[in-house]
Amino acid sequence: MECKPVPAKLLHAAPPYGQILSQQKWRGSSLLQSLRGSVKTIFEEELGVVDFCLSNKTCVLYVSESDLVAGNSYRRKIVRFRNANSGLQGIVIVEKTHLSEQYFSGLQKFVVLELGLTLLPVSSAAEAAQLIAQLALGENKENPFLRKSVSRLLEPVVLSLVLQIPGVGKVKAMQLLQRFPSIHQLCGASVHELEPIVGQATAQNITAFFHNQFT
Amino acid sequence: TAQTQIPPAADAPLRVLVDSRCISGGSEVVSRLRLRHGLQVHVCSLISSDFIVSNRMAVERQSESELAGVQNRKRLQDRMQRLQATFERVCLIIERDRAKPGETVRVFQRSRCYDGTLAALVKAGVRLLVSSGPDDTAALLTELTQVERRKGQAIAVPLEVKGHRQQALQFYLTLPHVSYVSALNMCHHFSSVGHMINSSVEELQASAHTSRSRAEDVYRCLRYSCDSALMTNQL
Repeated sequence: MECKPVPAKLLHAAPPYGQILSQQKWRGSSLLQSLRGSVKTIFEEELGVVDFCLSNKTCVLYVSESDLVAGNSYRRKIVRFRNANSGLQGIVIVEKTHLSEQYFSGLQKFVVLELGLTLLPVSSAAEAAQLIAQLALGENKENPFLRKSVSRLLEPVVLSLVLQIPGVGKVKAMQLLQRFPSIHQLCGASVHELEPIVGQATAQNITAFFHNQFT
Repeated sequence: TAQTQIPPAADAPLRVLVDSRCISGGSEVVSRLRLRHGLQVHVCSLISSDFIVSNRMAVERQSESELAGVQNRKRLQDRMQRLQATFERVCLIIERDRAKPGETVRVFQRSRCYDGTLAALVKAGVRLLVSSGPDDTAALLTELTQVERRKGQAIAVPLEVKGHRQQALQFYLTLPHVSYVSALNMCHHFSSVGHMINSSVEELQASAHTSRSRAEDVYRCLRYSCDSALMTNQL
């Protein structure tokens, strides 16, 4: 069967949560049998080079042990996916076993470093099923690794910045910030203005810190 | 006015920053990087990440068992969130555990929790690489550094700073979302700390080799007016 390029249609036929779309060729495979009980499989004719579609954003290309040992056709499949520019995140799952291990590093270099796709090794079809289930079920969960944007008060940051100036401790830092409440203002202050707050020596340290040119 | 940065020559050595914590567990990786791959390596306290291979990429190294351990989960989450806040690109090298002397080949049992962690990392945009040991890790780091150079992101400034610049570096590192390499770039770009403080968002972005939003964070922080009543209560 000749693989068609990834059809645009895929974008509209996203599987519902807890279900995945699978290529017909996986019907009856041990991988799908292992998936039973965790996610539901719907078979789809038009997946092109993609083996499984997990959501409207993520899909899986599967490289089996025998694909890896037999040679190059899987590379063409992956490149085809990449060139289709479907906007989908492509995850390549590869069976890394005793037999196929020697090819792994080459594949990793190709998929991750050259193409910029994701590669995840598994050692068996059962392991692949567990991973695919977690990938599919993780779609709706809150992600613990994503950057949370919390608006924090900047007072502690500004104070620790002032404490970086040589000769300035906590007491002097607080006194400075009461008169010059931002770093920008403190930087613009003259020795003359600083002297009454922190004394002559520290005032000179502060202006030197801000204005001495690096050599 | 700002000095313009000269892009490094094609044959200039690749530069990598290594966190000093790594030395205890990863001195092998460091010596491989230096001796076998010919990289210029500087070991210092990076705080957030294990390695920095370009102006935008941090690389973290974890063993398979560390990644699988439930007790490490919170720490890994904090670290990854921090890295994502500071770096444009974050990469995690998962290294196979070394067999201890006298131990038969260890079979790594993959738990559902481990796969859940992998799935969340992938979805968070963390780039994953799998390594078979310190040798492989050094080779992967070298390849990442080469790829980043091809994309014009190589570290182009000297990795060490001396004298007044050392003080400036510590000051820049205290700014929000400024990575070690951004602080280093700023040290070599601005003629004084005051020069940095008075520069525009665009200039900050260009000199630190960072994103617009991170440059805006720095700009805002420098002009943030502290509420002294709040400070005496809080601190």
